[in-house]
Amino acid sequence: MVHAFELYVAIGIAFAVAFVLRGANRIDPSARTGTWGFRVLIFPGAAALWPLLLVRWLRADSGTGSETP
Amino acid sequence: MSVGYQAVGWNRQKKLYDRTLALGVGLYLALFLAISAAVNPNATAETLVIRAFGTGALLLLHVVLAIGPLCRLDRRFLPLLYNRRHLGVTMFGLALVHGLFSLVQFHAFGDTHPLVSLFTANSRYDSLAWFPFQPLGFVALVILFLMAATSHDFWLANLGAPVWKALHMLVYVAYSLVVAHVVLGSLQAETCPLLTGLVGAGLVAIVALHLVAGWRERALDAEHAGDATDGFVDVCAVDDIEPERAKIVTLGGERVAVFRYDDKVSAVGNACRHQNGPLGEGRIIDGCITCPWHGYQYRPEDGCSPPPFTEKVPTYDVRVTRGRVLVRSEAHAPGTPVAPAQVHAMGSRDA
Ligand code: HEM
Ligand code: FES
Repeated sequence: MVHAFELYVAIGIAFAVAFVLRGANRIDPSARTGTWGFRVLIFPGAAALWPLLLVRWLRADSGTGSETP
Repeated sequence: MSVGYQAVGWNRQKKLYDRTLALGVGLYLALFLAISAAVNPNATAETLVIRAFGTGALLLLHVVLAIGPLCRLDRRFLPLLYNRRHLGVTMFGLALVHGLFSLVQFHAFGDTHPLVSLFTANSRYDSLAWFPFQPLGFVALVILFLMAATSHDFWLANLGAPVWKALHMLVYVAYSLVVAHVVLGSLQAETCPLLTGLVGAGLVAIVALHLVAGWRERALDAEHAGDATDGFVDVCAVDDIEPERAKIVTLGGERVAVFRYDDKVSAVGNACRHQNGPLGEGRIIDGCITCPWHGYQYRPEDGCSPPPFTEKVPTYDVRVTRGRVLVRSEAHAPGTPVAPAQVHAMGSRDA
C-alpha cells in the first residue's frame, strides 16, 4: 500500500515537471503566456491529479490532427 | 479573465489582505508559543509547535467557513471574502506543519514506515472513544491539500466548475474530520477540556450561521414568486436601487441582478462566470458591472466582459413604468444585447 502510494507520488512529480512546461499549454491556451510563478503554483496539483491530466493531455494532442476541435 | 495566467493577480487590496493575514498568523503563533511555554515549562519545543500550528489551523478553518454565510447576512463582511483563497491556502500551510511535526515526532523513529505507523499505532478502530484520531487528521489534511493545490484559476477552468465546486465542498468533510480529530485527541489525552468546549462552541456557531443564512435566502426567494404580467414581473421601485448598484431578485428560480446606472436600468444573471460570485452585490465601475469577489467585469447592456475578455452572463428584458422596475422572467442567452430601460423617458414628456 505504502509502496503504491510512493510510486503514485513519484510518477506524479515526474509528470508534473512535463505538465507545467508543456501539457498545461496544450490543454489550456491561456497557459501559454503563463508566468513562472503560475507554473510553480500549479505544480502540486499536477502531481496529485496526474492520471486525469494525462488523459486530457493525450486527448488534446490527438485532437489537433483531426477535425474535432 | 485570463489572458495568460499569473501566480497571483496582485492588487493593492490583496496585498493589504495578505499582509494583515500574515501579521495575524504570526502574532497568534508567537503568543501561543510564549504563553504555553510559560504555563507549561516541561513541554518540548516540538510539542509546542504541534499545538500552536494545529490550533492556528483550526481557528483559520473556522474563519474560512464563517465568511460565506456572514457575507450573505451582511455585506460589510465582503472584504473578507475577497481573498478567501489565500486564507484557505494559509490554513493548509499551518495544518501541514502540524501534521508533519506530529508524523516525525510520533511515527518516524520506529521500524515501521511513518505512514503505516500513523494508521496502525493505535488499532482500536472498533472503539468510539478510543478511535485512532490521527488518521482522521491525516485524511482531513489530504482534502485540504487537494483544495489548496487546486485553488488557482487554472484548475477552475480545466477541471470544470462542477468538479471544482464539488472538490471544494469537501471542506465540510475536512471540517467534520478535524472536529473528530481534535475532540477524540483531547479526550484520549485528557489534557484540555477547554479545547473540547471551544471546538463544540465553534461547531454550534458554524452550523447556526449556515442555517440562518440559508433561511434568510429562502425567505428572499419566496418574496418574488407571483405577480407576472406578459412575462414581466414587478420586482421593485426604481428608488429601491441605489445608483451604480443593484438589487438581487429571484425570477423563475434564478437569481437576477437589477442594476441602476446613468439613469438606466439593466438586468443580468447574478452569478459571476468566475466562481459564481454575486454580481448584484458588486458595483458599476467604469461603466461595467464589477464582481465584488475578484473584480471580473461585465457590460450591463449585453452581459459581456469588455475585450479582450470573453466571459458572458445572461441578460434580461427590463421596463420602467411609473417608477416601478419590471423584468421579464425569461433569460436571454449569455451575451445577448438588451436595450437598457430609461428611468426618465427620453425628452421626459410624461415625467
Ligand atoms: C497528518 C495529519 C495529522 C496528524 C498526524 C496529526 C496529529 C496530531 C496529534 C498527535 C495531536 C495531539 C498533539 C498533542 O496533544 O500534543 C493533534 C492535535 C490536534 N490537531 Fe492534529 N494531526 C493531523 C492533522 C490535523 C489537521 C488537518 C488539523 C486542523 C486543520 C489538526 C488540528 C489539530 C488540533 C487543533 C489539535 C489539538 C491541539 C493539540 O493538542 O495540539 N490536525 N494532532
Ligand atoms: S467570482 Fe471571482 S470575480 Fe466574480
